Amino acid sequence: MAAEVKERKINIIDTTLRNGEQAAGVVFSKHEKIRIAKMLDEIGIPEIEIGTPAIGPLEREIIKEIASTDVKCRLFTYCEASPENVKIAAKCGVNNIVLNISTSDLHIKVKYGKNRTWVLNQLRESISAAKEYGMAYIVSAEDATRTDLEFLLKVLNLAKKRDAYRFRICDTVSRLDPFRTFLLINTILNTVDFPVEVYNHNDFGMSTANAMASIRAGAVSLVTSVSGIGEGTGNAALEEIIMALKYLEDVDLGINTAKFREIAEYVAKASARAVPVWKAIVGTNVFAHESGIHADGVLKNPRNYEVFEPGEVGLTRQLVVGKHSGSHTILHKFKEFGIELTINEANDVLALSRAMAVDLKRPLFDKELMYIYKDYEGRKQSRTAPDEDDA
Amino acid sequence: MRGLDLLTEFSKKAGEKLEPKNIKIDDTTLRDGEQTAGVVFANDEKIYIAKMLDHIGVHQIEAGIPTMGGDEKEAIKAITSLNLNCSILGWNRAVVSDIDDSIECGVDAVAISISASDIHIEHKLRKSREWVLESVRTAVDHAKKYNLYVSVNAEDASRADMEFLLHFARTAKDTGADRLRYCDTLGILDPFETFMRVKTIIDIVGIDIEMHTHNDFGMAIANAIAGVKAGATYVNTTINGLGERAGNASFEEFVMALKYLENVNMDIDTKLFRDLAEYVATASGRFIPTWKPIVGANLFVYESEIRASTTLKDPKTFELFGPEDVGLERKLIIGKSSGSNTLTHKLKDLGYKIGEKEAAELAEIIREKALLLKRALFDSEIIDTFNSYMGAKVSKTVSNGKGGQ
Repeated sequence: MAAEVKERKINIIDTTLRNGEQAAGVVFSKHEKIRIAKMLDEIGIPEIEIGTPAIGPLEREIIKEIASTDVKCRLFTYCEASPENVKIAAKCGVNNIVLNISTSDLHIKVKYGKNRTWVLNQLRESISAAKEYGMAYIVSAEDATRTDLEFLLKVLNLAKKRDAYRFRICDTVSRLDPFRTFLLINTILNTVDFPVEVYNHNDFGMSTANAMASIRAGAVSLVTSVSGIGEGTGNAALEEIIMALKYLEDVDLGINTAKFREIAEYVAKASARAVPVWKAIVGTNVFAHESGIHADGVLKNPRNYEVFEPGEVGLTRQLVVGKHSGSHTILHKFKEFGIELTINEANDVLALSRAMAVDLKRPLFDKELMYIYKDYEGRKQSRTAPDEDDA
Repeated sequence: MRGLDLLTEFSKKAGEKLEPKNIKIDDTTLRDGEQTAGVVFANDEKIYIAKMLDHIGVHQIEAGIPTMGGDEKEAIKAITSLNLNCSILGWNRAVVSDIDDSIECGVDAVAISISASDIHIEHKLRKSREWVLESVRTAVDHAKKYNLYVSVNAEDASRADMEFLLHFARTAKDTGADRLRYCDTLGILDPFETFMRVKTIIDIVGIDIEMHTHNDFGMAIANAIAGVKAGATYVNTTINGLGERAGNASFEEFVMALKYLENVNMDIDTKLFRDLAEYVATASGRFIPTWKPIVGANLFVYESEIRASTTLKDPKTFELFGPEDVGLERKLIIGKSSGSNTLTHKLKDLGYKIGEKEAAELAEIIREKALLLKRALFDSEIIDTFNSYMGAKVSKTVSNGKGGQ
């Protein structure tokens, strides 16, 4: 199965700077946006969405500035499909645009107060405008996963006939699980032969799995964001997608993954959102081992509990001493400090460390481990001291 | 093309309707959740969490590892003496003395855990497959003497040779185990492979299966769902997805995914999700990301104009369930992507009225302000901006009037 995926070229279009910034409360400043664009370009992301020109003059200024840098990746702006919005976008110096339009009846009724015919016309006019300005365009079907399939195919056929660059299926409300994602994308591609990309949200924690399922079904491109930042629960996380493609599908896109942690940290700072220590791929806890069984297993052979080396995503392995630690971790830790403990000593230090961790409700710092050891040594010596006096 | 056909077949099978009454939650917040590097619960916190899980409707609680002794053992004893409705399970290695510790704690169920992959058997246990099977037999035998419910945990099942895994499962079943826990210890499966492997075990061996999935590639929930679609009846979850490395399948995400994507209502009081999540976040010293699926505070916070104004008209446009279903609230914030519709609505909430043209102008001012502040505006700032804008307008009109005279 993986071999079939392997033969195809998979594209990534990152939307950290567009939908990522659309996350409630998140605002990137100009220099941050430029820096993020450059970082994404440097690690080898082929395409990025850099903003929504219709938001206002400041946004347009930033888009222009990014467009004037020497980034090599293909840049896209984004708009709600209308000739006016295309016109605004055309003045930003970016030749590619995402034309977004809702296709579900619920959205058409509530969001636009219109009907399906209006949607098709609006799209036609927007496409004509984009063509007039010589722009390549992706047609993005919002709420596609709640759209009547026949109508969705109609929109897709329209995009195809008018030479769209790609067609985007948006699972706007996270309506699908991986199996239904597979069936939908597979059905679409069996009906219309056209490059399709998929845009997922993480409302039920399945964005990455759904993205991977769509690749298996024949989609050629995925929309991602750094750490999954985006509206609501966010999008499929760039680092998860790249690593899942590499390790679960055997598809290496040649992205410089060693920079993942650094980029995640930068975006975290710029968005004032911490990278949770448990964040898949880039969280610092992913390579931290505390429990006796796991830590011991990792010391014997990292492959026991790790699929790839921490350095591959810019992290380091840590052994944490705490409530669940075992004597092997203690032996290993003190060896790092340059102290060779006997098994008995390690067991004693372990008991003291566990008790202290429970009291403090956290694992111990290296310094605390040393204090424990020194106290323990001290007591051992004072216990033997009286004997010497007697002698 | 054969591969694609196979996936299509899986997907079709996986699309079949699920039997709701057969799916049970075995929550392991207190065991795998606490095993997370850096997390320690105090005993009173453990007791409180156990009570909440029971109250909310969980079927089984994995309360800890009795053989660790000390405080851990005390906590498990305290939990079993609460006489909760749900089953209380103790975690064990496939070692008789571990099981004796569990029995001493008064649990009614035990998990007997041992690696099933050659890589673990060789590099971690440094034993043989036969030794593993023998350990399973001895441990299950022992536990069954005390009439305990027995789950045999196949650790690292995802990297296990399928043939051996079937052998492992059959050994567990023949010795009297009640279920097999399929542990995707490293979180390396995708949903299709999960479906295939779990279905194979069920079809060939015919034993109850529990899913234990990890989130290393962000697929814990999808894999748990895939397991259930393949016929697994138990799912091992944790609150907030707490757990080693990238964590486990999150309790609240799994329950809601089952309810809203698969139409299976588990009779769990989801309205308490946010409360439960907050309690565990505090006890584990880990924040709830505002973007956390199901319980993140930002989930029902709207800022961008189109999304916000559309949701105000009909929440179903962007929500499959409402905030009240999980103990959250819907909020409107005003920031860099706000427009006149949402601003007008917000001002109305705050007790101010504004005209259409003014709202558009004020929205522009507010967007610039948000960009400078690098955040959304507080209510007081919105009011201040509104007042100074209206004030400036009034004085402008006044001065214009004077000029006209």
